[in-house]
Amino acid sequence: MRKLLKLCLGAAVIAAPSILPSYAWSASTDITVVLETQPDQLDPCQSSKSQVGKVIKQNVVETLTEINPENGQIKPRLATEWKQVDDLTWRFKLRQGVKFHDGTPFNAAAVKYSLERTLDKSIDCEIRVKYFGGMTLTATPISDDEIEFKTNTPQPILPTLMGTVVAMSTATPMGKITREPIGTGPYKLAQWVPGQRIVLERTNDYWGDKPKVTKATYIWRSESAVRAAMVASGEADISPNIAVQDATDPSMDFSFLNSETSRLRIDAAIPPLNDVRVRLALNYATDREGMKGTIFSKQVIASAQHVVPGINGHNPDLKPYPYDPAKAKALLKEAKAAGTPIDREIVLVGRYNLYPNSEESVQALQAMYEAVGLKVKLRMTEAAEWYKLLFKPFAKDRQPTLFQEQHDNNNGDAVFTIYVKYHSQGGQSTISDPELDKLIDEAGRSTGEKRTKLYQEAFKRIHEVDVPDVSLFHMVGFTRVNKRLDFRPSIATNSELQLSLVGFK
Amino acid sequence: MTGYILRRGGQSLLAFVFLLVLVFFLARMTGDPTNLFLPMDAPMDQRIAFAERHGFNAPMYVQFGRYIYDVLHFDFGQSIFQGRPAMDAALNAFPVTLKLALVTMFLAMFFSILIGSLSAFRPGGMFDRIASMVTITGASAPDFWVAIVAILVFSVSLGLLPTSGMGSVWHWILPVGVLLIRPLGLMTQVVRASMIGALASSYVKTARAKGASNRRIIFLHALRNSLLTVVTVAGDQAAALVNGAVVVETVFGWPGIGNLMISAIKQRDFAVVQACILLTAFAIFVMNILIDFAYTRIDPRVRTT
Repeated sequence: MRKLLKLCLGAAVIAAPSILPSYAWSASTDITVVLETQPDQLDPCQSSKSQVGKVIKQNVVETLTEINPENGQIKPRLATEWKQVDDLTWRFKLRQGVKFHDGTPFNAAAVKYSLERTLDKSIDCEIRVKYFGGMTLTATPISDDEIEFKTNTPQPILPTLMGTVVAMSTATPMGKITREPIGTGPYKLAQWVPGQRIVLERTNDYWGDKPKVTKATYIWRSESAVRAAMVASGEADISPNIAVQDATDPSMDFSFLNSETSRLRIDAAIPPLNDVRVRLALNYATDREGMKGTIFSKQVIASAQHVVPGINGHNPDLKPYPYDPAKAKALLKEAKAAGTPIDREIVLVGRYNLYPNSEESVQALQAMYEAVGLKVKLRMTEAAEWYKLLFKPFAKDRQPTLFQEQHDNNNGDAVFTIYVKYHSQGGQSTISDPELDKLIDEAGRSTGEKRTKLYQEAFKRIHEVDVPDVSLFHMVGFTRVNKRLDFRPSIATNSELQLSLVGFK
Repeated sequence: MTGYILRRGGQSLLAFVFLLVLVFFLARMTGDPTNLFLPMDAPMDQRIAFAERHGFNAPMYVQFGRYIYDVLHFDFGQSIFQGRPAMDAALNAFPVTLKLALVTMFLAMFFSILIGSLSAFRPGGMFDRIASMVTITGASAPDFWVAIVAILVFSVSLGLLPTSGMGSVWHWILPVGVLLIRPLGLMTQVVRASMIGALASSYVKTARAKGASNRRIIFLHALRNSLLTVVTVAGDQAAALVNGAVVVETVFGWPGIGNLMISAIKQRDFAVVQACILLTAFAIFVMNILIDFAYTRIDPRVRTT
């Protein structure tokens, strides 16, 4: 017994040093941000990933241009102005007198290096995969503060794309993922203890206005209830994303359109869903208002297209289909009379944890569709299986399918949504409408007013003629903010958290 | 002793190989990480290029062969999400879980022996009934729920303890408390049962007849003889702590092996899952040897066999 006790005490002594306090309360202009997960990497070329972007984008590393989340307009950031020379060529003027955190100058050579590293195929940079997939782009410095970009296909929205490209120091290793981002932003990475915290500190020689927050510590807790509790108890200052059931205190919790839009994709190739009357009936049978404030939070906005307002190409004239079960029944009756097999079983594929209550929402939709006389079977999937069903090639012998999905476009332009979702060549599209393809292709080549008009027309055609989905809601997120801070989340909060926008009361 | 450890090592090696095969194929049955790593809208050619770069498109037996070859060379693969060796990630996380488990097991043994012995002294008495009710209720409550409720009560409502995280000694109270509940409940019952047996035995009657004090009878004569069962159960419970650690570390945000494992499984970061499982299996192997060793110290009869 005595020996056992000794053994146990010994263990306690070994463990003790690490138990003893090392916790310090933050001073008034230092803040703590509690995220959902730890970023796996902090490589600048991954800053389009939301978990990476929330820490470093526009804080440590900055983009050449910046998208105003409210209206989709492009603002200068590290680039001050730009012009299109010809179809394939753009010239960008760069901000002068900017330095990276390691003291090296920000200039055309650094931009060229950053771009080449981002587009390097030997590392998996999300910015390359997501925005520069099908094109080749070469950068040529004209002078220290001017750079020319040449592409192999016309890129009318290159200034928008440059809102995703971040500048990094030429000390960043080529061909290898780095854990030390060196940028030009108002904050530099001071400490990263894997698994525990990331600390950013304000730099003294930032080119722009000096932000108010002096130091930001990022920690992560996977449970929303814990994150909410941490802000409530004063242990943290901002939790960018908490679940709707934890957003119970209006003095701390703010909702924001999180740029996600939810829908059911209709497999328009398989009977009975190949009949547009059936697809319309599904839309009329959907009680969007009834799900607001019950299954979905009451701040969501019923949607009629797959991009949020503020994205170039969003059509403000489109209205969601009203709830009209009688009309749905009439349409189905008509379809049946024309020989469409509306008695065939339809599979509704849902995904666990796609968004809060995603399971309940497909159950409700199943009930609504059965109420108008369709046969609907529910099939819930996990992420890996769901992804398989999301993409082409679709199985040849598949059943008619409704597919629960949500999509996030906060990059200012409809091109990031419309091609992949609706073009006959798009990787997730279930329709093939030559008229629509023409509109989408033409819009992709155009600029300015014309581009906007064409995309709006395309969305109108999708909504009224093709009906390849049951558009549900523009979704909201909830941010909990400590009362001592002056900060409001925006549509950008899903992908970045600019510390320079945080003030104190 | 050396021969004994070698023998045990040989037996465990077989289990290790079995585990490796199982984990390798089970993990891959859940799909490959390409879709989870790349953005949702990534075109097909990018997906194929990614799978090729990381070898996910090779036939399963080729991937397995590569893996075994690497493990034999002590290369446990790269974490594709973290961009560093998988074993580094696992080794970084391991001490956190080890400390958590050590502190919890120490407290569980101490309190289970104390409460169990006192309960056994008067089975059916007031103390016994209250102790049984409390420990069994605690052990039956889902730890996830207990953890969240504990945070809401002690941190948010009462403001007594930090919600989560590591750092001061105060940060340890809630996680250790939650993790403690299950082994404590079980071990208390085991101590109680074996103590009741020991207290009814003839050597205790002899000691009583000789006029030994109650304290001496309980903690010296009876306890030493019932410790054997306790150590066995404690070993089981220590291994089961890894399960509890997954929940506790996730809720309280501790960067331990449970937390790492769960996020690696969600991301299909195979190399990390494999590294974590190997490391945990190794730790349990070492612990079993320590327990066998403890037997020989507690029970002289084991030494001769």
